[in-house]
Amino acid sequence: MLKTLKSLCLIDATSGDETAVREFICKEVKDFCECSTDNLGNLICFKKGKKTPNKKIMLDAHMDEVGLIIKAITPDGYLKFQTVGGIDTSVMLSRRVLIENEINGVIGCKPVHLSSADERKKLPKEENLYIDIGASSRQEAQELVSVGDRAVICSEYIENGDKIISKALDDRIGCAVLIDLIKNYDEYDFYGVFSVQEEVGARGAKVATFGINPDSAIVLEGTTAADIADVPSDKTVCVLGNGVAVSFMDKGAVYYRPYYDFALNSNIKCQPKSAVAGGNNSSVIHLSRDGVKTVALSVPCRYIHSACSVADKNDILSARELCEYMINAIADGSIE
Amino acid sequence: MSYIKDTLFSLSASYASGKVSEASEFAFDELSKYLECVKSDKNMSFYGVMKGESDYTLMLDAHIDEVAFTVTNIDDNGFLTVANCGGIDLRTLPAKQVLIHGKQKIKGVFISTPPHLLDGEQTFDDISKIKIDTCLGAKDLISPGDIVTYDIKPCELSYGRVTGKSLDDRAGVTCLIELGKRLKGKKLPINVCFSVVDGEELGMRGAIPATFDISPDEAVAIDVTFGISPDVTSDEGGYLGKGAMIGVSPILDKSVTDKLNTIAFDNDIPYQNEVMGGKTGTDSDVISVSKNGVKTGLISIPLRNMHNDCEIIDLKDLESTCDILERYILSGGVKNA
Repeated sequence: MLKTLKSLCLIDATSGDETAVREFICKEVKDFCECSTDNLGNLICFKKGKKTPNKKIMLDAHMDEVGLIIKAITPDGYLKFQTVGGIDTSVMLSRRVLIENEINGVIGCKPVHLSSADERKKLPKEENLYIDIGASSRQEAQELVSVGDRAVICSEYIENGDKIISKALDDRIGCAVLIDLIKNYDEYDFYGVFSVQEEVGARGAKVATFGINPDSAIVLEGTTAADIADVPSDKTVCVLGNGVAVSFMDKGAVYYRPYYDFALNSNIKCQPKSAVAGGNNSSVIHLSRDGVKTVALSVPCRYIHSACSVADKNDILSARELCEYMINAIADGSIE
Repeated sequence: MSYIKDTLFSLSASYASGKVSEASEFAFDELSKYLECVKSDKNMSFYGVMKGESDYTLMLDAHIDEVAFTVTNIDDNGFLTVANCGGIDLRTLPAKQVLIHGKQKIKGVFISTPPHLLDGEQTFDDISKIKIDTCLGAKDLISPGDIVTYDIKPCELSYGRVTGKSLDDRAGVTCLIELGKRLKGKKLPINVCFSVVDGEELGMRGAIPATFDISPDEAVAIDVTFGISPDVTSDEGGYLGKGAMIGVSPILDKSVTDKLNTIAFDNDIPYQNEVMGGKTGTDSDVISVSKNGVKTGLISIPLRNMHNDCEIIDLKDLESTCDILERYILSGGVKNA
C-alpha cells in the first residue's frame, strides 16, 4: 500500500485534469472489481465480496490535488496563474514548478536585498506572483506553454523514519487505502469511488453519489494537523502518530453520530478531529438524494496543500484498518 | 558550453557553509586538473597560481559559500530553531525542503502555520518562529551549530537558462574553473591566481585573509548581481542573457574597468555595465583595500531570485564573462597601464 502511495504522489493531477491518476488506479484495480468512468471522470468501482449487505456502502477518495492553472502570458514571457484549490502564498513563493509534466519553471521572488522592511514582513498578493520558464518574450513562452495549462509545485517523495514528506498526500493517501481495500478486502460488496474535483468544491463526489445512491458512505481523506512547535494542544486539530482522525463536524458536514461514536469506541488507534474546520467530499455526499449516513476517516497531514506535507505511515495503516472495521460493522448491522 | 553547465550543476548540487565544505572540495579537485591548488589551513578557501612571464600577479576571486542556516536549538519533538547565515527572505521558508548537515544528512521541512491558527495576516519578522520539522525525534543526530542548507538539485529551464540554489556564487566559481581549463598550457604575460573563498555571505570574511596571503597586484572579483524580472527594475539590475555586467564604481579601479569594457567592446562580446555609487556588496570591497591597496575590478553575472533556492541565470552570461576575462588575462591585465 505504501509503495502504491509513492507512485500515486509522484503523479501530477490537478483538479479537472485527473486522467493520469485515474489511468494508474485503473491498472491497479481492474482485475479485482468492475470499474467504469462517469461523465465527470470519476472512477466508479464495484467490488463483489463474499456477502451482499442489505445496505449499499460507498467509499470515497479523491484523485485530484491542488495546483496552478496558467491564465495569461505577459509580453516579457512570464506566466500569470491562478491556484486550483487553496494554496497559501507563502508555500508558493520561490518554488520550482512543473508545467504539464514537461516544462520547468520557477515562481520568482524579489531579492531580499531590494525589499523594504515592510515588504519583507508581508506576503505579496497572489495576483503579483508569476512563473519564469526562461522565456524572454510572449512568443518564446507560447512555443512551450498555453493558457489553460496546469502546473504543480515540485517535490520529492521522502521517507524519514515513520514519516512521509510529499506533495499530494491529500488525498493520494485515501486513494492508496481504497486501492488496497479493493485488492484485499472481500467480505462484503462495496462501491469505491475515486472522485474528481474535490479541491474545487467537491464536484465529482456529488454526481458519483447520485449515480450510486448509497445508504452509507466512508470518506477517506487527509486533514490538517497542527501538532507543530509552539502550538498549544487545544489547537492541534489532530496529532501525527495518534491514529486516523474521525470527524464529528466540519465546515461542510455534520457527520452521522453513531458512526463517529462507533469508530472512536473501536480498539483501533484513532482520534477525534478536534476542530470544526475544513471540509471534504462528505459535504455533498451526506446531502445526496434523501441523505447518506456518512463518516470521514482522515489521515493527519502537517502543511497540507503544500509540496512538503507530512504524514505518518502508522496513521495510514490505522485508516486502512478502521475502514475495514466500519464496512463490516455497517454491513453486518452492528451499527445502524 | 556543456562543461560550464556540468561544472555549475555539480557545484550547485553540493553544499558549502560553515563547516560544510563539499562544494569547496569539488571545486578544489576540478581546478586542480588545470593548476596546482593550495588549501588554506584556516577555512575552506583555497587558491592556485598559474605562472606567467612576469612577477605581476592578477588575482581572480569568487566565493564558494552559500546562504544557509545554523541550528540554535532542538526541542523534544525534533523541531529545530535556526538562525540565518546570510540574507534570507523569511516569507519564502514555510513548507520548504532543507537538508540538515548533522551526524548524518537529514531531510527536513520548514513549518507552515495552518490558516486556522493565524489571526489575520501572517507577518514574517522572526526566524526563530519558523522552526524546522525534522520528522524525527533526532536529538542524537543533530547538534546546535549544525548547518542547514536548501535542498534542491539544479535543473534547466528553457532557452539556455538554469535554476538552482547557490548559483550565487557557484556561477563565479564555475567561471574560474572554465578559465583554468582555457588558460592551461597557454603562455601568460602575468601570473594568474585563482582564489576561491569562503565567508562572503557573512561579510566577505574569506576574501580578507586570502587577499592578504596572495598579495596580488591586481584583482577581479566574479560574483552575481540582480537580474531584471517583474520584481526588479532596469534601474536595479541587468538583463539575463545580455552578457556579463562589468562593474563601474568609485571603489573599483578605473583602469581595470575601462580595459574590461574595451576588451568586451572590441571583441563583440556581449556585456553590460553595472554602475554603483560606492560599495559593491562583493569581495571587491575588501580586496581593493588589502595591504597597501589592490587595483580591483568586478564582473557580475545577472541572476534572478537572489538568495533563494530558485536562483536563475543564463549560461550565455557565464560564457561572456569567461570570454572577456580570458582576453583580459592574455593581454596582461593593467600591468602596463
